[in-house]
Amino acid sequence: MRANDSHLSDEELLLAADGELPLTRMNELSEHLAACWDCRARSGQLESAISELVAVRHAALDPKLPPDIGRRALLKAHLSEQAAQSGAGGWSLFFRGLAFRRGLAITAVSALLIVLATVAVSYRLRTQSSVLKLARLPLEPSRKLTPGATRQVSLREVCSSQPEDGSARVIPVSVQREVFQEYGMDGAPPKDFEVDFLITPELGGSNDIHNLWPEPYYSTVWNARVKDELEDRLHEMVCNGELDLGTAQRDISTDWIVAYKKYFHTDRPL
Amino acid sequence: MTVPESGLSLFRVLTRATKSADSDCSEVEAEVVRLFDEHRTRLLRYVFSIGLSVHDGEEIVQDVFLALFRHLQLGRPRDNLRGWIFRVAHNLALKEREASHKRLDSAELDEVVAARHVDLSPSPEQQLAFSQRQQRLLAALYALPSRDQFCLHLRAEGLRYREIAEVLDMSLGAVSNSLSRSVARLERADRE
Repeated sequence: MRANDSHLSDEELLLAADGELPLTRMNELSEHLAACWDCRARSGQLESAISELVAVRHAALDPKLPPDIGRRALLKAHLSEQAAQSGAGGWSLFFRGLAFRRGLAITAVSALLIVLATVAVSYRLRTQSSVLKLARLPLEPSRKLTPGATRQVSLREVCSSQPEDGSARVIPVSVQREVFQEYGMDGAPPKDFEVDFLITPELGGSNDIHNLWPEPYYSTVWNARVKDELEDRLHEMVCNGELDLGTAQRDISTDWIVAYKKYFHTDRPL
Repeated sequence: MTVPESGLSLFRVLTRATKSADSDCSEVEAEVVRLFDEHRTRLLRYVFSIGLSVHDGEEIVQDVFLALFRHLQLGRPRDNLRGWIFRVAHNLALKEREASHKRLDSAELDEVVAARHVDLSPSPEQQLAFSQRQQRLLAALYALPSRDQFCLHLRAEGLRYREIAEVLDMSLGAVSNSLSRSVARLERADRE
């Protein structure tokens, strides 16, 4: 553990790694690093987390990158169009209209539009079919499949736990697959859903399948982030003694949206 | 065809003027296309990472470069063009995200739009390919406040602190603070 005050802070280590320090400070830092194994090890830990983050971002995002079908050409066409409109105006606009170059551009634009229209139609057809499949999926947990399940915990355990940092939320992939299956979602890959706890572990929820459901991630009004807020609020109230743990568990598992409205005194997410 | 002498010289003057304006324009056009080639992938990945759909993301990237063309044509500052490009993309993306949230309010179309969105959350098939370590990291990433996530994604796309500060309208110190806090949190999650 690096308890000594003279060690470098995470912030300075990162600034140094990112090449964001002034040269003089940089020299001092390399001298310190050369002598201090603690700081070098810490720097290595931070670097390793960064490379893992880079890898996971690429793995998650790169498959979604669309090929550049005509996007570059479309931009060029738009640019010529704009240049013509906003150019020197008046006379030059008149001459531009006559220019051979413009003639070419217009032909290119029309050809391009035909190609793009074809691409767009086929894209729409494809996305529509997946929309239809997903449209029937649940936004709220089914009472039958996910009534909520708790583990035996004392109030002290609930309130003494470390602040949630994500690791507590890991659910084995096999269980996640089971959850998607029981909700009939194994056909369409539900990119926008995450398997979530109905009663959060911080409130004593268990990772039993009865406490797990596919939650729409990003785009709905009542999404995972909103539920996270409710969980934080309930945890705070339970640990402040304002609310009984059992009531919190019951309210969040009966209908978390109703619970949100009740505890935040609002009809829509804040 | 015969053209009166004075008419001819007027014609010459005008064509010359048009030609020079034309070459200015096409220089700017060429530069914009070059910047498009350079930044398209990173910009797309950034707007996807903050929750935009593929379709909306592509539209926004087009809009960004049309705006860039106007920016350059008007002779506006060009000392931090990459920061400028990401800033416009970031703002357009947030606006689009908000708009699609609003559209949802009235409709029962939640799921339809939900299906259109992509984000970092992997599909079950993808999850099989993600290691436990990577899943932990993703979960920790999501748990960060959104501003910290923006900083991290921008840094991951290669922006310098000065550029991130411009995109998100933060001070340099705040950027550095946010990044080190986030990396330390990810590192903790990674280790556990």
